[in-house]
Amino acid sequence: MRTDRLLELFLPMIVILALVAIPNRAAGEHTGAWVDEVVISEEEDESRAVDRLRAGKLDLYGTGVTDRDIYDRVREADELQFEMSYGNTVELTFNPVGPTFGDGGELNPFSVPEIREAMNWLVDREHIASEIYEGLAVPRYLPIKTVFPDYARLAGTVSRLEVRYQHDPRKAEKVIEEQMRELGANLQDGQWHYEGEPVELTFLIRLDDERREVGDYVANKLEDVGFEVLRDYRTAEEASAIWIGSDPERGKWHLYTGAWVDTVVSRDEGTIFNSFFTPRGRPDMLWQSYEPAEEFDEIADRLGRRDYETLEERRELMSEALELAMRDSVRIWLVDQRAIWPRRADIEVAADLAGGVSGSWLWPLTLRVKDKTGGQIQIGVPGILTEPWNPVAGSNWIFDTMAMRATADFATLPDPFTGLRWPQRVDKAEVEVREGLPVTKTHDWVELDFTPSIEVPGDAWIGWDHQQQRFITVDEEYPDGLEARTRTVIHYDDDLFERKWHDGSGLSLADGLVAFILSFERADEDSPLYDEADAASFESFLRDFRGIRITEEDPLAVEVYSDQIQKDAEMIAAGRAGYLFPSFGTSAAPWHMLAIGMRAEEDEELAFSKGKADQLEVEHTSYISGPSLKILDGYREECAEDHYVPFEDAVEEYVDNDEVRARYENLSEWREEMGHYWVGPGPFYVEEVHTREGVLELQKFEDYTDSSEKWLRFVEPSVPEIDVGAENRRVPIGERIEFEIEIMDEDNPYPADDIESVRYLVFDGEDRLVIQGDAEHVEDNRWRVILEGEATGELEPGSNQLRVAVTSLKVAIPAFETYRFISVP
Amino acid sequence: MSREQLHEAEDEAGGMLTTLRRMVLYTLRRGAALLITVTVGVYLTIVIANMGGHVDEIRKAQIRERVGARLMADEQVQSMSAAERRELMERHVEIESRRQGLDRPFVVRSFLYLRNAMTLNLGRAENLTSDSGSRRVRLILLERLPATLLLFAPAQMLVFFVSIFAALYLSRRYGSWLDRLVVTLTPTSTAPAWFYGIFLILIFARLLGVLPFGGMVATPPPEDTLPYVLSVAKHMILPVGAMFIGGIFISVYYWRTFFLIHAREDYVEMARAKGLSSGQIERRYILRPTLPTILTSFALSVITLWMGSIVLEIVFRWPGLGRMLFKAIGMFDTPVIVGSVVIYAYLLAATVFVLDVVYAIIDPRVRAGQKEGGR
Repeated sequence: MRTDRLLELFLPMIVILALVAIPNRAAGEHTGAWVDEVVISEEEDESRAVDRLRAGKLDLYGTGVTDRDIYDRVREADELQFEMSYGNTVELTFNPVGPTFGDGGELNPFSVPEIREAMNWLVDREHIASEIYEGLAVPRYLPIKTVFPDYARLAGTVSRLEVRYQHDPRKAEKVIEEQMRELGANLQDGQWHYEGEPVELTFLIRLDDERREVGDYVANKLEDVGFEVLRDYRTAEEASAIWIGSDPERGKWHLYTGAWVDTVVSRDEGTIFNSFFTPRGRPDMLWQSYEPAEEFDEIADRLGRRDYETLEERRELMSEALELAMRDSVRIWLVDQRAIWPRRADIEVAADLAGGVSGSWLWPLTLRVKDKTGGQIQIGVPGILTEPWNPVAGSNWIFDTMAMRATADFATLPDPFTGLRWPQRVDKAEVEVREGLPVTKTHDWVELDFTPSIEVPGDAWIGWDHQQQRFITVDEEYPDGLEARTRTVIHYDDDLFERKWHDGSGLSLADGLVAFILSFERADEDSPLYDEADAASFESFLRDFRGIRITEEDPLAVEVYSDQIQKDAEMIAAGRAGYLFPSFGTSAAPWHMLAIGMRAEEDEELAFSKGKADQLEVEHTSYISGPSLKILDGYREECAEDHYVPFEDAVEEYVDNDEVRARYENLSEWREEMGHYWVGPGPFYVEEVHTREGVLELQKFEDYTDSSEKWLRFVEPSVPEIDVGAENRRVPIGERIEFEIEIMDEDNPYPADDIESVRYLVFDGEDRLVIQGDAEHVEDNRWRVILEGEATGELEPGSNQLRVAVTSLKVAIPAFETYRFISVP
Repeated sequence: MSREQLHEAEDEAGGMLTTLRRMVLYTLRRGAALLITVTVGVYLTIVIANMGGHVDEIRKAQIRERVGARLMADEQVQSMSAAERRELMERHVEIESRRQGLDRPFVVRSFLYLRNAMTLNLGRAENLTSDSGSRRVRLILLERLPATLLLFAPAQMLVFFVSIFAALYLSRRYGSWLDRLVVTLTPTSTAPAWFYGIFLILIFARLLGVLPFGGMVATPPPEDTLPYVLSVAKHMILPVGAMFIGGIFISVYYWRTFFLIHAREDYVEMARAKGLSSGQIERRYILRPTLPTILTSFALSVITLWMGSIVLEIVFRWPGLGRMLFKAIGMFDTPVIVGSVVIYAYLLAATVFVLDVVYAIIDPRVRAGQKEGGR
């Protein structure tokens, strides 16, 4: 048979096989979101949410639950599982004014730092965590959070201070007694008196959560040591009018059950001393009454300004600050609360260590039914569509922003377990920092260099001229030249401009430029887009901004100069990568979508921000529902007729006429089909908005072409598990001993490359830190601690503890393990 | 026409004029009294909703707390000097305070609220937005009204008409086992409807799984009309059932007692003695004379639809006016609270006014402006 005859016969078969094979291969590389549809609906009641989860009416509850009974119900239900987050912290805030208050001369014992410090010994944090929060909290002794990276980095100091401030009511009573007598008070029948009157403490107790019980517990303890306590139970609103709204000199309160929330993992907690212990923290009257010791004040200030040259210096400053903060104790920390995020057992999602599911940036990219693709997932949240949606200054309610993030795309995304940023639309970044600034890097996508000085090129843009509608260059603004502390070059992905917006328009540089210019316009008093609230915030950006220029257009490369530094080069790069990326915090928008809202605001028909809408008495722009849509319809038609391109003079080289027409046509079709104007580039688009029913339907965006596997590694945090062993628990003093350490990730060895540090601390029988150091890496997941004879010679005969602290590059939560051994003569 | 006839006609005309004058005077007096009542009621609402102005302090503190927390979380703000940070915060606090109208004293604002309320210029909410995202109080209320009417109208109508007919039936069977059963069950109405709602949810949603836990429609809502209507109807079963159980026995008891009293009037006894059928007695001698009372009760129950029910709507996640009002109270959103109350007050006043006038015209026992006795 001839070859061409053979071909004739087999060619159709080959074609058929190829057609079959191609989709099969494509099916193996699943792209975009894992599920076809996500339905987000309102469910305010936590208990009912669990009922609905169990009944299969919901797949995931998108808010953190802290109620112990519900936690138990979730744990007992085979069909349910949960994610865990550590966002809330409970503390006691003291009124430090005194020794007596302004008007009545009433005594305020908490004006004395020693009494405040003694409160650390008076309260039993273990009791609060285990009995009041019934395990849904971990004791917190220090200003730094127990699950954030600094806690692990400072393991030695942390362990020492935690031991020092263990519950010790006798010590507390002794210190309080000494200090009260110094204040002129005396103890009569177990009751403190001052100038003949019992010393009464007004305790502002929040009654809307477990803080009511915490307040009662602390009040009981205070009564035990001789104080009369007036328990003033208040709601959040009532309490804030007193503790933050009133002058502490007026003595309306002595102590308050405060709480704080972290919605993202903080990579650098060095600013907390400024924020919580010095008048620099906030201008409120309470903060202005803080009088930290000079040494503490100086260290807090240095840490706040990041005035240190090496990370070792920072570590020393942090250690000192922690010690001094405990002595100051204008507030004492009690527990880090845990919240559970219930879900059906077959659901997988990446939850943020601090922000849980609603605070997670990766939820839309990881949410799925385990090992399955497609289908619908139902999420319940306490509220959705709470305020108008617009990308510029729309709703910032947490559940609205959670949904918005699913429709958006970002240059970088935060690691839910460490807070560090990973590239999403960025190929790589070069960060150049002036020598002597404490910046470090962890991931390979960032290159970090140090240089003696950084000069900003004269053609870089540093401002925007509203009148002339053009950028202002550094040469014009600073004829004598300008220097910056950092220079960052962001190289975006090669295919950035091949990506699509939901309405089919292609992403272009003009999108990023319009968003960037808009931020200048909104801060310019001469612009019709001026917004005073935004202007105030923009000033803080301008304060550090030193210039930007586009060095390559496709693939896009942008050079950013700024004085703002952060400890991690990844965070610096992430911040700069957003400047010319068309994203706005939690959403993203193309220029033609912004254009119709801008025109409406210029004509004072709508306003992007709530404040300006009130000022003009017009509707707050909503791209998704309500009366705004009809107004936007009119402006869409007008913009299409005028071929309107915002800031045309500045962006015209990146837009052509056909594109302008096509974009407005796409938007018009989108509005007709979907009934709204919310267009993004994210893995989901808004399919249906049911405002009355409080339901939002998100549909998978098929043109979102990233591999679905990309972020799947963040579904489960890899918390190291430590096993410590030694040949003998009895160590003759003065002799060498070795301890073997094995680090596991569940049943697998923990990769050594992912371990940041393995530190050890040896405490003697009286909980004094005797020896500390870094363990020695042996092989794979095994480390070794060697205590030479000289070291063991420092131990007293008796029981000792070896505490091992392991920090991982993959998760901020440090792991601790304690091994007890006996030193014998 | 003879002189007597002329006098009679003049007297009659004079009498009519006098009656008309009395009616007009009465109407004006009643109108003025009701207007004053509404004004006082609305102003009291304004003062109470703002705790006599104390809410201003709470709101100012909340603004400071929120702005402070936001700025504390901002990396760029953290690197500012203390003075810069303070200035920035004060600016934000000032802008937000001005936005919420807190730059003017409460007393001044209270009269502005009152003026707007009385002229039905409901204005803008201070914090709340309507479901669709509007800040106009009118839309905030109107968008929620259909859901409230949809739920409460059938429930109230059901309770009203079932209780009227059941009461008539029982009034004929005074002392029967059914009558005794209703009397026995009447105290159950002391528990509110939401209380029964919780039990109904437990039984029919949680245990049996045959009816939804709450909400107005399935999630996601069906796209086609018929499935949507059926879904809404299914979601109405439990809340309507709860309201029915919570209200029916006391209502039946009330009307049954009312009819029993009327059934013992002399003219009813006479009709009975004449041998008229029960149906005729009920229609002509019981229902007809009691119709004004029934109508009044019906009209007032229709007005109460406006307010919805806060707790019931929360229990059943029903997106009605009650839940919205609860939210407004929690957020101290005075324009929404006042808007809601003033419409209710006007509806109530208008109904009372119309009923007063209608009574004055049609009820021979009511003698408008009559010096002796009066009403």
